[in-house]
Formats: sequence, C-alpha cells, structure tokens
Amino acid sequence: MARRRGLVINDEQMQMIDGVLSKLQRVCGSHFCALISTSGQPITTCPSDVDADTLSLAALAAGSFAATRQLAEVLNEREFTLLFHEGKESNLHVMQVTEQILLLLTFGHDTQVGRVRLYTSRALEVLKPIFEDAEESPGGDSSHVIDREYSREAGTAIDDWFPAQNE
Amino acid sequence: MALINLAAREINYKIVYYGCGLCGKTTNIQYIHRRVNPSARGRLVSIATEEERTLYFDFLPLSLGTVKGLRTRFHLYTVPGQSFYNASRKLVLQGVDGVVFVADSQISRLDENVDSYLNLWDNLMGQNEEPGNLGICLQMNKRDLSSIFSVADLTELLNHTGSPVIEACALTGVGVFETLKTVCKQVIAKSSRN
Repeated sequence: MARRRGLVINDEQMQMIDGVLSKLQRVCGSHFCALISTSGQPITTCPSDVDADTLSLAALAAGSFAATRQLAEVLNEREFTLLFHEGKESNLHVMQVTEQILLLLTFGHDTQVGRVRLYTSRALEVLKPIFEDAEESPGGDSSHVIDREYSREAGTAIDDWFPAQNE
Repeated sequence: MALINLAAREINYKIVYYGCGLCGKTTNIQYIHRRVNPSARGRLVSIATEEERTLYFDFLPLSLGTVKGLRTRFHLYTVPGQSFYNASRKLVLQGVDGVVFVADSQISRLDENVDSYLNLWDNLMGQNEEPGNLGICLQMNKRDLSSIFSVADLTELLNHTGSPVIEACALTGVGVFETLKTVCKQVIAKSSRN
C-alpha cells in the first residue's frame, strides 16, 4: 500500500514563512496575506490576529483557484497561475506557490497591482523551496505526530464530542 | 492529505460527503451546523444555485478541540450531486482524508446511486488515491421512507470496501452524528497508520 504524505511544517520553517509574509505585507501595503493549501486549509496569516474568517476564506479561495486551473485546461492554456479579483474597497490576489500551496493577499486601491505582482513573485522564490522541503523531507511523514496515543485520545474526544445530540 | 502545522500545533482533516443529487448530503451538513455548539463550528458556506441545489460545494469547519496538544479540526465538504457537475466534484475531492458516501435508500434511485458510487471511485483513482488510505463510510439515508432497499441489498451494491454502514434520516438527524463520528475516527486511525 502506498503511503500518503501529509504536509508537516516545523517551527523553523514556519518562522521563515511568517518572516516572508510579514515583509511582503509591508512592501506591498497589503491588508492581509495568507498561505493556504490547495485543498482549502489555512496554514498561516499575516497579521496573525486578523479579524477575517480564514477558514471560509481558505476554502473559497482554493475552490476558486482550482476552478481557474480547470478553465485553463478547457481553453487549452497550459495553466493560469494567478487569480485576481478587483473590488470597490479592496482587491484579492491569489498565486500558486507549489502544487499544494497558494498565497493570497488583499490590498487597497492605494497600492498598484504591478507592485503586488513584482513582490509576490519575489516572495514565491523564497517560499517555494521551504514548502518543497516540508513536502519532501522525512518530516513530511506525519507518523511521528499522529501516533497511536494521539489516535486513542482523539477517538475518546470524538465520542464525547456531541453528548447531548439526539442520535 | 492531513495538513499538520507543528508551529501552530494544528491538524486539519478534510472530509467529503459524496452521493447522487438530492440524496441528502447538504441536509447532513445543515443538521450538523444547526446542532453543534456554535463555539465548535465555523460558518456554513454554500455555493448553490437559485433553486438551492449545490453548484460547487458546501463547507463547514468543525473543531474537535485540543488533542495531545494539537488543535484538531475537520473540514466538511459536500459535492454537487448532479451528474453534469463532475469537474466540480473532482476539485472538491482534492486532498481528501475521508469520504461519506450518502446513498438514497429509495428503490427508485438505484441507478443514480450506482452511477455516483462508480463516479466516486473513478475520481479517487484519477487522483491516485489508495482507498485503503482513506476513511470511508456508507450512510444509507432516507430510511424513514417506504419503498426502500434493504440494508443488505444496498451494502451489496455500494460497499465493496466493507466500510462501516449507518442507517440515517438526515432530515430528522437520525444517524447524522453517528456517521460523522465514524468517519472522523476512521480518518484519524488511517492517518496514524499511514
């Protein structure tokens, strides 16, 4: 049976990632930056205490990006690697980092799109090898994190999850 | 693919409710959303048509709390059941950790159930998913109706993996949480083994 590899990000990698996002947010004049998985799960945001519903945002942005890639296929285009939504107050920019990772950021009309594109492209050059390491290194194997003890405790927690429900 | 963020001490799992159109996938998610403690769930996001048929997906994040120091979340998705939305179903299946196949128990829906079941396996194989690595559960929905298949017959048709089977009536909530608990436990058991 083939082993499935999860994406496991360690403290050191996360510090580097957060550093890149923080710098990117500053130089782009962005309101909010986030890294999410292509399956719709948030990884980290900058600022970290942002008031947005990041879970919904990640699910919708990943879905939207996935649909964009399929549009490219239908149009016989090799790939659309960028998704851009222009709003009245703010804009949303989504770019692919690796096969599993997307970068999204929002910014206002006081920031030029070209500036955002330039700096996000530079950020991708730094982020890409970090995530490739997280996917390929022995740390990418999740078995040392999700062990039997975790499995047992999670099972108990699930049993206690909805005690008052009418089954 | 479970996403594990050691720095933030978080694990996220993705569970997809699959099945033919009008089998009750969205009803399951809506019931869970209504009955779960609001502190344990996020916003229910639905991308639906004007007729309230699922166009792309429904999404509901649930938090199990902290287990062994790791904040554990399950992200529930549904797929659009209508046959012509297969491109969307493939997208929603990306990175899946567990699948609930919701079968409509009515005898009149046999063809739709079988088509959807075969379509699920086609799409999983298309993504090189090993079925043994996924948590899978068969929910037999609409058990309160007349003219329904027996559990044995539906199991024979729609459960070649020998996965757990749960009888349900999603409208009233019967079997909804039992299904959710079953697939969540399976997903965690599989991820600890992979």
